[in-house]
Amino acid sequence: MQPLESLIIVAMAALVHASFQLSVSMLTLLSSHTIGAKHSHRRLLRLSGSFTLGVVVMTLFMLSTIALFAQKLLKSTDMMFAWIAVCGLLFGLGVAVWIFYYRREQGTTLWIPRPLALFLAERTKQTKQAAEAFSLGLTSVIAEFLFIVPPMLVSALVLLSLPALWQLGGILLYVLISLSSLLIVHMLIGGGHRISRIQQWREEHKRFLQFAAGSGLLILGFYVYVDRVLSPAVMSAAMGVM
Amino acid sequence: MPGQLIDVVKRGGERPTEQFTRDKLHASVLAACLSVRSPEGEAETAATNVCEAVIIWCGRKSEVTSHDLRRKAAEHLHRIHPEAAYLYKHHRLVL
Repeated sequence: MQPLESLIIVAMAALVHASFQLSVSMLTLLSSHTIGAKHSHRRLLRLSGSFTLGVVVMTLFMLSTIALFAQKLLKSTDMMFAWIAVCGLLFGLGVAVWIFYYRREQGTTLWIPRPLALFLAERTKQTKQAAEAFSLGLTSVIAEFLFIVPPMLVSALVLLSLPALWQLGGILLYVLISLSSLLIVHMLIGGGHRISRIQQWREEHKRFLQFAAGSGLLILGFYVYVDRVLSPAVMSAAMGVM
Repeated sequence: MPGQLIDVVKRGGERPTEQFTRDKLHASVLAACLSVRSPEGEAETAATNVCEAVIIWCGRKSEVTSHDLRRKAAEHLHRIHPEAAYLYKHHRLVL
């Protein structure tokens, strides 16, 4: 596979990751409480910047760890089974996201366990220091683990087939694209936009975002299945006939 | 209302009941107004008006739920500051 083709798959997986909303919700809540508590704009930027940095670090760490484990545990003969398993995960999660991602109530409540959501909301409210915001950013990625693992697995498996320098580029590309939605919200808040408008927009378009995330997973799963599972199998069968 | 004690039943009785305090309601409405970058004076006025309206609504009740308090406060705030009311009403529905 050409490096460019691999990076396109990584970019697609990262886009799917970017459509998941837990980090964005937490950043919105954090900013809302910071502004409401009459803290300065500088402090708001420091807290939201630290939160975003936490998300960057945990995303980097998680993708690198998954890639490392995949490299250590999978032999070249296992790769076909790994791709089939990942495709199954992508299809399953795609359908699950279509059905479940947002709860059927007002607002942007997500399908994560309620005690966890309440804990995160309480922690977000009490966050005053940059270090707390940083660790909150780390936690937000962990809390969304179930949803982001399949796109990360795809990226990790794709990256394994690339030369070292391209792997590094691929990881950075993944982090940059997966962070795009969070960066946009960070910039909007930093630029003085009202939190209520951002939240209203998110609520009005949540069904579209849900549909896009689920469809993205299914399309990615289909592409990877054809490219990594079907094509090699068809090629080897054709070689056998000849 | 002055001197009258009102119990606030929290989250359907899952958390212990507490006494209604005007200051707490005022602070929460004020925070919602400030969150939408409302000027401080305007936010103070909105919070004071909402508190007065909610206290009138409480009347001679001895017990209200926190959900009803929030709903009533949001209704009154909506007339003064719709964007702040949206945030006030939905702040538990973000995550």
